[in-house]
Amino acid sequence: MSDAIESGLELQERQNRFISLHFRRIFVQIYHLVQNVADAQDLTQEAFIKALQHQEQLKDEQKAAHWLSRIATNTAIDFLRRSGRATFCELDEAPESQSESPEAILLRSEHREYLEDGLRLLSARERAALIMRDVEGLPAEEVAERLNCSKATVRSHIANGRTKFRRYMERRKR
Amino acid sequence: MRHPNQATLALHAGGDLGRVRSWWMARHLARCAECREEVAGYTEMRELLPELADLPEISWNRMAAEIKANVRLGLEAGECVRPAEMPLQRASLTGWRAAVAFASVIVLVCGCLVLERPAPPPTHTAETAVESTRDGIAWQAGDDHMLGLMNGGAQKATYKLGAQGSMGARYIDPETGSVTINTVYVQ
Repeated sequence: MSDAIESGLELQERQNRFISLHFRRIFVQIYHLVQNVADAQDLTQEAFIKALQHQEQLKDEQKAAHWLSRIATNTAIDFLRRSGRATFCELDEAPESQSESPEAILLRSEHREYLEDGLRLLSARERAALIMRDVEGLPAEEVAERLNCSKATVRSHIANGRTKFRRYMERRKR
Repeated sequence: MRHPNQATLALHAGGDLGRVRSWWMARHLARCAECREEVAGYTEMRELLPELADLPEISWNRMAAEIKANVRLGLEAGECVRPAEMPLQRASLTGWRAAVAFASVIVLVCGCLVLERPAPPPTHTAETAVESTRDGIAWQAGDDHMLGLMNGGAQKATYKLGAQGSMGARYIDPETGSVTINTVYVQ
């Protein structure tokens, strides 16, 4: 086997390891933002392609996770901006457990739809900030790092997101 | 009484205010039922949001295989189109750029005029020379023909000259189709 082929295989193996190591976390992170499995999978692939095409930019291996998270967040935000609104999952794709009755599944699905309708009212960055802070429970500093902006800007996005979402909830209650 | 705005109340509900502002908010909430109710509304909203973290059932192994395969395809496709993606830089021809471009054109025109002047006729010297002929390659010292490599009428002959004084010819014989390589070392 020639050196070139061997190094190509080694590179491929290294890239596969990189994907195996991070893909679950990145998929979940993107899924929380777009709330749709098919879109989340496509965007996860896109994020990995972007990352592996520019892996020379990553000097410090320890920072790979943060770097990849940032790429994933930007990819998802770009998608949300492009699509205007997210395409949420169909009823039959919704989380399901064997022990739940059909009524419970329907109720849960309706509730989820209600929450997703609220998220649609937020801008891409407000939505990302709100989900990272209130759904994933990340500290504001980390949200700022992932969104590549200041902590003050993140606070502003979080405040706007919460205010809009609460107004939406109040309107729906009436 | 001065009430905090909605953004401050929303941040307070999630513990996202700084120490001083949190302390001020706590003091205010202790005596303002209206703002307490607002904060409670935000807290209630925050308690609902984690439901969005629920994932559907996913076959992780299948997804990993699909993602790896598609990433590979994407990287290969990216390699193919990369040269075409080089951004075109549009430079405006104003100011110093125009001056540099004008000077370059002048230098180019002068260079062409100098090169176009008729060269003096070649003088015959007694120096050693290697030249390509119709039938091959010849080495001459002054007027004497020292050495020649003939290619026997082959259409595509390749010649090479070595820095150490060697001379080679490689061609395909038009009649037999065999490849002939001649190399002569001069001492």
